[in-house]
Amino acid sequence: MRWFEYLTRRLLWAILVIISVSIITFTVARVIPSDPAAAWVGSHPTREQIARARIELGLDRPLSVQYYYYARNLLRGDFGTSIHSHQPIANDIRTYLPATMELVLAAMFIAIVIGIPLGVLSGAKKGSFLDHLTRLISIAGVSMPTFWLGLLLQLFFFGLLGVLPIGARLSNEVALNSPVDKITGFYLFDSAVTGNWVAFKDVLLHLILPSFTLSTYPIGLVIRMTRSSMVEILNENYILAARVAGIPERTVLFVLALKNAIIPTITVLGLSFVYSLTGAILVEVIFSWAGLGKYTTNAILSIDFPVIVTVTLVITIFYVLINLFLDLIQAAVDPRVSLQ
Amino acid sequence: MKNRSLIFVIVVTVMSILVTQCAPKPVTEATSPTTAANTPTTEATTSPEVSRNAIFVYTHPSDLPNLDPASSYSNDSVVTSNCYETLTFYNPPGSADILSPQLATRWESNVDATEWTFYLREGVTFQDGTLFNAEAVKYSILKTKEIGVGAAYIWDPVTDIEVVDEYTVKFKLSYAAPLDLIASTGYGAWIYSPQTYEQHATEWFNEGNCAGTGPYMIESYERGSRLVMTRFENYWGGWQAGQFEKIIFESNQDPMIAQQKIESGDADFTYLIPADNIANIKANRQDIVVYTNPSFQNLVGLLNTKKPPLDNVLVRQALSYSFPYEQFIQGVMGERATQARGVVPKGMWGHGDDLFQYSYDLDKAKDLLTQAGFPNGGFKLVMTYSTGDLDEQQLGEIWKAELAKLGIELDVQGMTWEAQWDLSKSDPLKAQDIFCMYWWPDYISPYSFLFGMFHSEESILFNLDYYSNPQYDQLIDAGNVMAGTDRKQATEMFIQAQQILLDDAVSLFFYDLSNTHLARSDVKGFVDNPAYPHVVFVYKLSR
Repeated sequence: MRWFEYLTRRLLWAILVIISVSIITFTVARVIPSDPAAAWVGSHPTREQIARARIELGLDRPLSVQYYYYARNLLRGDFGTSIHSHQPIANDIRTYLPATMELVLAAMFIAIVIGIPLGVLSGAKKGSFLDHLTRLISIAGVSMPTFWLGLLLQLFFFGLLGVLPIGARLSNEVALNSPVDKITGFYLFDSAVTGNWVAFKDVLLHLILPSFTLSTYPIGLVIRMTRSSMVEILNENYILAARVAGIPERTVLFVLALKNAIIPTITVLGLSFVYSLTGAILVEVIFSWAGLGKYTTNAILSIDFPVIVTVTLVITIFYVLINLFLDLIQAAVDPRVSLQ
Repeated sequence: MKNRSLIFVIVVTVMSILVTQCAPKPVTEATSPTTAANTPTTEATTSPEVSRNAIFVYTHPSDLPNLDPASSYSNDSVVTSNCYETLTFYNPPGSADILSPQLATRWESNVDATEWTFYLREGVTFQDGTLFNAEAVKYSILKTKEIGVGAAYIWDPVTDIEVVDEYTVKFKLSYAAPLDLIASTGYGAWIYSPQTYEQHATEWFNEGNCAGTGPYMIESYERGSRLVMTRFENYWGGWQAGQFEKIIFESNQDPMIAQQKIESGDADFTYLIPADNIANIKANRQDIVVYTNPSFQNLVGLLNTKKPPLDNVLVRQALSYSFPYEQFIQGVMGERATQARGVVPKGMWGHGDDLFQYSYDLDKAKDLLTQAGFPNGGFKLVMTYSTGDLDEQQLGEIWKAELAKLGIELDVQGMTWEAQWDLSKSDPLKAQDIFCMYWWPDYISPYSFLFGMFHSEESILFNLDYYSNPQYDQLIDAGNVMAGTDRKQATEMFIQAQQILLDDAVSLFFYDLSNTHLARSDVKGFVDNPAYPHVVFVYKLSR
C-alpha cells in the first residue's frame, strides 16, 4: 500500500512538472520577438501570405487559447508542425530519437564497463599509482570538452590511422549495398535481428568514436562516485570479516563491497543518461549523427520554435521519468530509503 | 595480482575488439547483394554493385528540410533539382541566352505580358510512368499556389491556366510579369505528377520519394544523414556512357568532416569550407578544384530616408563615401565577395557594368556633410544586423571607426532577424538608421531587388529604407512589363532605375557575395549556376 501511495504521489508530481515545463517553454517561445507566420511562408513573402499563415497557424488567437489547442494536440501525440520544414514534428522525433538513444545507451555501456571496474580498483588501492592514474582519468573525463576530444579522435583514428569512420551512422557503401532494415531505428539492433552482419559491423564501427566521446563525462562521474563509496565501504567491519575469513579478494571487491557501493553510482548513471541526451547535441554535430541533437541544432539555427519546445519537453519527460525510476530502484535496493 | 589480471583482461578485450573490427576497407567494396525487402519505400531497384566511379557524392552542410515539390523552399533544392524540372531553365552567366527550353520547348506572350503560352515537350513521362502534358502543368502550378507556402508567391500574378491542347498551356495574369523567368525558378516552379501528388501527403515525399520528370529518382533516404538517388532510366534526355549512375547526398554540418571527406576522396563535391583552408587546398591539392563564382546574393545597408539626418540626400551620399569597400573586401572577405555596382548583382541580367560606384573618400564625405550643415558630424546613427553574422559585425565595427573620423557615432547592434525586422516595420522615426541585410532574387529578375527593397509601400514589408519616388516606381513597373516582351529595353530601364537609387543614395551597396565550391578534379562538367544556388545538375556531369 505504501508503495502504491508513493508511486501515485510521485506520478502526480511528475505530471505537474511536465505541464509546468510545457507552459513555460510555450510561453517563452511565443513572447520572444519573432514572427512564426513570416518564417512559415518563406523569405520574401507577400503581405497576404503572411496574413493567411497567421490565421492558419492560429497565431491570431489569444495565447491561452493557443496553449489549449497545443496541449490538446500534445495529448493526442501531435507535437505540431516544424516552421522550417513544414513536417510533423512527431515524425521527426520518431526518426531521430532512436538514433540518439542508441548513441547514449552505447555511451552509458562504455561508462559502466570502464567506469565501475576502474572505480572499484581505485578505491581498493587508495593512494597507489593506479588510484592516481584513475583519478586523473576521472578528472579529465569530467572536464574535457567533448567537441575538442571528438575532433582529436577524428583526426587520429580517421585522418591519421584511417581505421575508424569520421562520422555518420553507416558508410555509403553499406547504405547502398546492404541497407539496414528500419524496424526500431536502433541500427545495431535492427541489423542484428535481420542477420545483416555487414551492416552490423559497419554500424558498430561508426558507433565507437561518438559513443566514446559522449561517454567521457559519465566515465569520470562513475569512477569518482564508485571510488568514494568503495573507500567508505571497504572500511566496514563486514569487509574485514570477509577478508579474515579468506574470501577471495575479487569476490570481496566486486561482490560484497560493490553491491553496497553501487547505489550512488546508479543515481549518477541515471542522471548522466539524461545529461547525455543534451550532451549528444555537440557530439552529433561533430560526428554527423542524424539524431535529436543535430535536429535540435538545426532548429535553433533556423529559430524553429515548435521544434525547440518539443525537444525540451521530450528531454523533460525523460528526466522526470528517470528520476522517478531511480527513486523507486533506490527504495527497492536500500530499505533505509524512506517512502515518505 | 588479481587486480592486475583484471586490468589485463579489460585491455585485451578492448584491443581485440579494435583490431578485429577496424580493418580498413576499400571504397568500392560491395558486400552482400541487396534484397527487395531491404529496399526502402521507392520502387527503384538497387543494383548490387555500383562502382565508386559511377557514384557522385555530395557532402552537404545542412539537412534537407522538405522534399515536397510544392512547398520545398530551402537547401533541399540540391535534391529536387535532380528529380524535378521546370518549364524553362535559367542559363549560367555568360550564356548567349538568358533562358533555355526545358519542359517547354518554346513560349510567347502578348504585348502586355499578361497572357503567356507555353508549348510543351512531347514524349516526356513522369517517374511514376504517367504522361507529362498540359494538365500536369496546370495541376502542379495551381496546387503549389493553393498550398501557398515557400516560393508559391512567384505565381501571384497568375489568375487562370487554360489547357489549350495536350501540349499547349496558356496562363492569364492579373498584372504584367515575365512568366518565362518565373517558370525557371529553382523553388516553387517544379512540375510534378498529378496522380502521385493526389495520392500522397507531404510526409510521403519526405520519407524519400519523388514524382518528377527529372533524370534521377530517390532510392533511399535516412532523414538527417543520407539520401541516395538513382537513374530514372526513361528520362527524356536519354543516357550516355560516363554519366553518373547514382548520387549520394550526405549531411555534414561540420566543415572539418566535409573537408576531410573531399580530401580523402570519400566525397566529390562540397561547399562552406572555411576561407583559410581553401587557400591551403588551392596551393597544395592537385586533386581538388576550387570554383569561385559570383552569386546572386548581395549585402546592402538600407538607409532610413524618413528619419533625420538621413532624410537629407547629402548625408546619405556622405555615408556612401565613408565605407572602405576595397580594404574591407580585401582584408575580411577575400574571394568571398566583390564590391557591388548597383543593386543587381554581377552576372545577372539587368546588371549595369557602367553604373556609378561609390568609393572610399572621406574628404568627399566631409564636403558633403559640410554642405548638409554637419561640418563636424555630431550625430549618432544606429545600424542593425543579424546576430551571429560575423561578416556584418566586422563591417559594422570597421565602418564605426571610419565614421568616427567624421564625427559621427555609429551604434552597431546585432539583433535576431525578426527583432530587426519588427523594429524597422514600426514607426520609421523610431526605427534604426541603417538596416544591414542580404537580398537574393526569388525569380531571376532585377525587379525582385528593385521592387522588394525600394518600391513605395503603404505598409512596410521589405522597403526598409522607406524610399518613395513615383518616378522610380513608374520606371521599374514599366521595366517589369517589358521584362516579358523586350528584355533589352527592360535592362536599360532597370539600369536607369539603379542610377536613381545611387543618386539618391538610398542604400549602401556593400558587396556581391561569391560562392565557393570544391569538387574532385576527376568530376567533369560542373558549371556554377547562381540562379540555382549550390545545386549540382548531376545529369550534366561525368567522371
